[in-house]
Amino acid sequence: MASEKNGRSVALDAHVRRIDSQDKVATGVLTVIVGLVMLLVVAIIAYILVRGAGRALTPGFLTNPYNDEAVPGILYQLWDSFYMLLVTLIISVPISLGAAIFLVEYAPDNWVTSAAKTAIETLSSLPSIVVGMFGSLFFVVTLGWGISILAGACALTMFNIPILVRTIQQALEDVPRSQRDAALAMGLTRWETTINVLLPAAMPAIVTGIVLSAGRVFGEAAALIFTAGSAPARLNFASVNFLSPTNPFNIFRPACSLAVYIWRLTSEPTAGSTEIVWGTATVLLACVLLFNVLARLLGKLLSRRLTAE
Amino acid sequence: MTDATTPQATPAEGSLLTTRDVTVTYDLTHEALHKTSLTFEKGQVTALIGPSGCGKSTFLRCLNLMNREIPRCSIGGEIFYHGHDINTPKENLFELRKSIGMVFQQPTPFRKSIRENILFAPKKHGRVKTREEEDELVETSLKQAALWDEVKDKLKQSAHALSGGQQQRLCIARTLAMKPDVVLFDEPCSALDPISTFAIEETIRDIASTGICEIIVTHNMEQATRVSDRTAFFYVGDMVETGTTQQIFRDPHDQRLIDYLTGRFG
Repeated sequence: MASEKNGRSVALDAHVRRIDSQDKVATGVLTVIVGLVMLLVVAIIAYILVRGAGRALTPGFLTNPYNDEAVPGILYQLWDSFYMLLVTLIISVPISLGAAIFLVEYAPDNWVTSAAKTAIETLSSLPSIVVGMFGSLFFVVTLGWGISILAGACALTMFNIPILVRTIQQALEDVPRSQRDAALAMGLTRWETTINVLLPAAMPAIVTGIVLSAGRVFGEAAALIFTAGSAPARLNFASVNFLSPTNPFNIFRPACSLAVYIWRLTSEPTAGSTEIVWGTATVLLACVLLFNVLARLLGKLLSRRLTAE
Repeated sequence: MTDATTPQATPAEGSLLTTRDVTVTYDLTHEALHKTSLTFEKGQVTALIGPSGCGKSTFLRCLNLMNREIPRCSIGGEIFYHGHDINTPKENLFELRKSIGMVFQQPTPFRKSIRENILFAPKKHGRVKTREEEDELVETSLKQAALWDEVKDKLKQSAHALSGGQQQRLCIARTLAMKPDVVLFDEPCSALDPISTFAIEETIRDIASTGICEIIVTHNMEQATRVSDRTAFFYVGDMVETGTTQQIFRDPHDQRLIDYLTGRFG
């Protein structure tokens, strides 16, 4: 009896030792993989910073126009990037919100709905250069808007919508069913329930999703080259004529975003343009990182305001 | 299947709420509730008991037509409320649910302040207009749910900061603020500790004394004996036996009810 018990415990010990070492190996391998990914990110960021931080921090780089004699800057491109982002969000957020609410709350469970969902997912995997080509043919030529901020924003909207619809849909679905039932049981209509109960509860996640998508839109280049143009615009911030091509707010003028500017300077280098490219890349990177941090902060702040106070 | 000794099991003239042969089918084929006829009176608490999946919650959710919110769920039979059948496609669900309130298993406060939780629906329905009316409604509703003394100094705070029991009483107060004449409870205490449970049971009795008709689904048979005047026992989609709570627990007739009460299944 004793020996059998002993034998069993020896076998058990060996088994424990084996799964122990398996566990260690697996943990080790996974740690190395994660480490590599992090190293890659850090390396890219560090490389861009080393190459571009000097230029990005040069006084005047952020505040001078591109044709400044002493320090050529990126003021116009910076403005155009943010302005185009703003126009894109103004168009895409209401549409996405509406689509997501419809899909979650109202859409009947049938083939039309599943076709709509598939269509949205397909839209999100369209190559952005194809979106750009379509935008150039449809918005620029067919609708006759010309190479313009509006055409660019519409192209950006086309691939911002699927991301937004997906995140808003997820945020709405994550609101507990009981909240919805409670509101309906109080005699509220579905619409009142959605607007007054579901949306506030989902708001932190929705805002986070919007800001994250903004980061993606901000760095997009391919879809803009044929729609918003790639020639740096000359802007006159004192202009009050909203139809003038130099008025910063005119949505029918061509515009050149930071990412497109990088593409243009790289494909058509001029004297000293390499420095500007790296400086611009640094600014672009900083903005995108900022969007990510902002998304987290806003999300946390909102959910604290909605739950605690 | 109804017990012969309970005349109220057949629809009586002038009753507040009466069901006649109510059936519920999910996905067109699965019958979750078989022809159920019950009557509920003003100021009376009725407990619906039975093992899990017996159809008691399904039946409860027919009374305010919440089952209509579930896709492919159909309700058959007639449900008379104040003498007219509400189980028709023409029935205005939103009007109906203003006077038949419901409290759920999990407390479901909205992400709003305590005050706004109470006023939310009355405001939407345009029932309160002035600040004074609002204050009064908040106070009376919270007092009815025995929550006023605990929260009167923090009405502007989030309802999510309350304890589970307080949240559930807030949900009761919120329901009462609609001035309903029927309140449905779907296992209101199953997520709560014994002390909160006791407080809610007391509240249920107090509300009944104001003439409101209450129907409560419960797994807890002790609770049924403590709060209810009448009890109905459900088993696998059938309403097997109904009567006064005293009769059901002291002198059950149906073998399945006897087995259930003696703990042979459940």
